Amino acid sequence: MTEAIINTSAIYLPSEKIVAREIEGELIIVPLVSGVGDMEDELFTLNDTGKEIWKRLDGKKSLKTIIDELVAEFEAPKEEIEKDVLGLTEELLKRQMLTIAS
Amino acid sequence: MSESFSSSIPLPEFALWDKMKHNKNRGLVSFDLEVTARCNNDCSHCYINLPAGDQEARKKELTLEQISNLADQAVELGALWCLITGGEPLLRPDFFELYMMLKKKGLLLSVFTNACLVTKKHAEFFKKYPPRDIEVTVYGVTKETYEKISRKPGSFEAFMRGLTLLMETGVRIRFKTMALKSNLHELPEISNFCRERTKDYFRFDPQLHLRFDRNPERNELIKAERLSPDEVAAVEKADEERFGALKKGCDKLINPEFEKHVCDHLFRCGAGNGSFSLSYEGFFRLCSSLWHPDTIYDLKRGTLKEAWEKFVPKVRAMRSQNKEFLNKCRKCAIINLCLWCPAHAYLETGGMDSVVDFFCQVAHARSAAIANTK
Repeated sequence: MTEAIINTSAIYLPSEKIVAREIEGELIIVPLVSGVGDMEDELFTLNDTGKEIWKRLDGKKSLKTIIDELVAEFEAPKEEIEKDVLGLTEELLKRQMLTIAS
Repeated sequence: MSESFSSSIPLPEFALWDKMKHNKNRGLVSFDLEVTARCNNDCSHCYINLPAGDQEARKKELTLEQISNLADQAVELGALWCLITGGEPLLRPDFFELYMMLKKKGLLLSVFTNACLVTKKHAEFFKKYPPRDIEVTVYGVTKETYEKISRKPGSFEAFMRGLTLLMETGVRIRFKTMALKSNLHELPEISNFCRERTKDYFRFDPQLHLRFDRNPERNELIKAERLSPDEVAAVEKADEERFGALKKGCDKLINPEFEKHVCDHLFRCGAGNGSFSLSYEGFFRLCSSLWHPDTIYDLKRGTLKEAWEKFVPKVRAMRSQNKEFLNKCRKCAIINLCLWCPAHAYLETGGMDSVVDFFCQVAHARSAAIANTK
């Protein structure tokens, strides 16, 4: 897998290869096709921070907009939020759970 | 870094199960979906099979749209896992659409099949859109034994061909067999055949329950395939893995404290806790074997929410006034070694709180086998 190059002006959305579901407060990403995420005995889940980012990856907002929204909403340094957003985006791209919209 | 807010969690450690278990609203985790009762084989011991060409049964089967609607309701209640079973699920001409429809709802799928109908197209499909696992039933590992049970000429060759195709997909394959009079002589070979082909489990069940439709002629065929109590105990003892687990768990399975219990509840099992079964005609049950008319709910006339939240607690609150049952089964120290449960008792006798002598004999034979090796 090649290293994903993240551009903050890019817009991402959930891949058609997965279904995301929230059950009892847990966000679970269920793969539809082989080679996505963990197909065996594991489930890929996002915690509350991950969920805040995930729900904004809607195919409309750029990463920059998402970062700005999170900075306005949460009491954390911008550098930290930016690192988290880019980190999760990279992880999700690697797992083919996210796709670029533009 | 992202490790802090995303994780891959092994299913057995998934905190969600705990949350659901402790959820006062009784979370729904999984459901069994019987997509048809029809089968390409005609196994004498089967509790459900109807002929593949049974048009009446086919007409009663839930449509794709009805299943989709019910699956939506299950997902709404939190279901994550769905077992596609039958009959033989691959008999449905819309199997591929049905499978993808369920997958797209975010359900983790398991499939039960006899593998005989698996084609290259199925194999490629499963490779591309893998289920969590496929469980294949192995009746025998020779043509003679297999077809004596399946009662379908050519089925052994079809089974071997289908299984080979499934094995090539890389999907996790699990195996199971029923230990029967007709394959008892071959059980060690069946066990080797399965264990050589899976990293996962092979399980066998030496106890047969009767048919869901209570068909008396077919029930006689099942009884003819039943192992005797001593044979059940012997096949379990001969299987190191199974007997080891049985002995290890015997402190929980055999509990003299039960003898002091004063309890008239019918249900002490987990039926309706976290899972349910949906019949091919749309009947909701707390578990697949529970067919007493007072315990089934027609989902074509009501909602799953109503069945789950109102009907299940009503069934689970059922009590018995049958003194023989209350004094014998309810206080039995080895009840956990017994096939007795309200569902099996109903299939056997027509009453959910009846004592079933044959089950009792088997439980005592199993208990004696454990005691003899302590």
